[in-house]
Amino acid sequence: MFDMDVLLPDFRDIIGAVPVTLAMALIVFVVSTIIGGLFALVEHRRIPVLREFVVAYKVVFKGVPKVIVIFLVYYSLPAVIQFLGSLVGVTLNGHTTSNWVILVVSLIACMAAFQAEIVKGALNSFDTGQSDAAHSLGYKNSQLFRRILFPQVVVSAIPDLASSIMVIMKALSLGFAIEVVDIFAQSQLTAALNFYYLEAFLIAVVIYMVIAYIVTQLADRTERALRVW
Amino acid sequence: MLELKNLRLSYGSTQILNGVDLSVRRGDVVSIIGPSGTGKTTLLKCINYLVKPASGTITFDQIRMDYQRVDKAAIQAIRCRTAMVFQQFNVFKNMTVIQNVMDPLVVVQRKSKDEARQIALQELERVGLSAKQDSYPSQLSGGQLQRTGIARALAVRPDVMLFDEPTSSLDPELVGEVLKVIKDVASSGITSLLVTHEMQFARSISNRIVFMDKGIVAADGSPTEIFDTPSSPRLAQFLNSEHTHN
Repeated sequence: MFDMDVLLPDFRDIIGAVPVTLAMALIVFVVSTIIGGLFALVEHRRIPVLREFVVAYKVVFKGVPKVIVIFLVYYSLPAVIQFLGSLVGVTLNGHTTSNWVILVVSLIACMAAFQAEIVKGALNSFDTGQSDAAHSLGYKNSQLFRRILFPQVVVSAIPDLASSIMVIMKALSLGFAIEVVDIFAQSQLTAALNFYYLEAFLIAVVIYMVIAYIVTQLADRTERALRVW
Repeated sequence: MLELKNLRLSYGSTQILNGVDLSVRRGDVVSIIGPSGTGKTTLLKCINYLVKPASGTITFDQIRMDYQRVDKAAIQAIRCRTAMVFQQFNVFKNMTVIQNVMDPLVVVQRKSKDEARQIALQELERVGLSAKQDSYPSQLSGGQLQRTGIARALAVRPDVMLFDEPTSSLDPELVGEVLKVIKDVASSGITSLLVTHEMQFARSISNRIVFMDKGIVAADGSPTEIFDTPSSPRLAQFLNSEHTHN
């Protein structure tokens, strides 16, 4: 039932999808964290109107399954791109948009809502006494942010941000629905050729676990090095 | 040099400040005493606008501001000429002791790092923390944290020091080291306002005592006048309760 001989060739096959998967995960992570961070700031500073938008955004993108978002983007993004192009007088062919771009855009949209909550939590953990102290000494908000708030909030957010990387890694497997080949999809394809499904998926499991282990270790070390309080 | 007129503030239906008038002359060391919840800390924080009064005016030398018309430049000017020491210390947790003291000099006053370091070393020496300059706040005791806060405040060379219950959250055995530093500051001639529950200490360092009750200044005078010949039964009762407490 379990064939050891196919493990090595299958492993070579599947590991080939790792760089692409990591690259997409990294893009989604960085961009969604930046957008989520801005959302959190909007809420933290209680900026009117924008704040209501952020609350509504979070409800929508936390609530709708990622796979549905992916399909919605898949069927609408090309038209949107053409429309935006026509607004500035450029003829764009939205239908040439690569599927991996559609996947990355969809996941950024979804993850931004979750990253916003992570950053919001970290911002709330910052004690306002330090803001009072900084203001009393004449710090402007931007200086307070740069010198005191940001360095502390980033460190508080590290554990949750690290787990969000793994959430993104796994969410990328939904790209199978629109023919984007990540680690999971590659296992599926490899297995489909030789019918050794169990072997292929076990290899995928091991690869995901190794990545999770490395990410967690890196995050723990970074946090320990940076957390001086 | 500092004059507050008719400060009013309420949280919901609770009146905190009910028309406070207070004027402070250069070199004054004023202790503000009174029961909890009478607006002592709030009054202090109105001066540097950490708390926003609903109405009233502040005059700080040539700077004037009506609290109903917020003037960012005036607020910034006042903040740059005052420094506050907090009940909860509020040192910056991501910085070492010396960085805490240097940072406002570099960021706000745009001094060079070398100059800031010189001043910081001087102030840390003054509060007795030279040996701890490279420690992070998490490694310090409450007394050391508060002395860091005081050094940070002194380093900006403020015209007025605002002490907000600086020893109230300290363990009893750590109160002494902080009071010693504050006494040293007060005797150096820096105009100081001190909100405190340490009656004996207030008496020994201040040339004026302000008694606040129910959101107004209920008595204002020299330590002898306030402590030895209290002008109202309310004040006498307060002093008595503090006395039996201590």
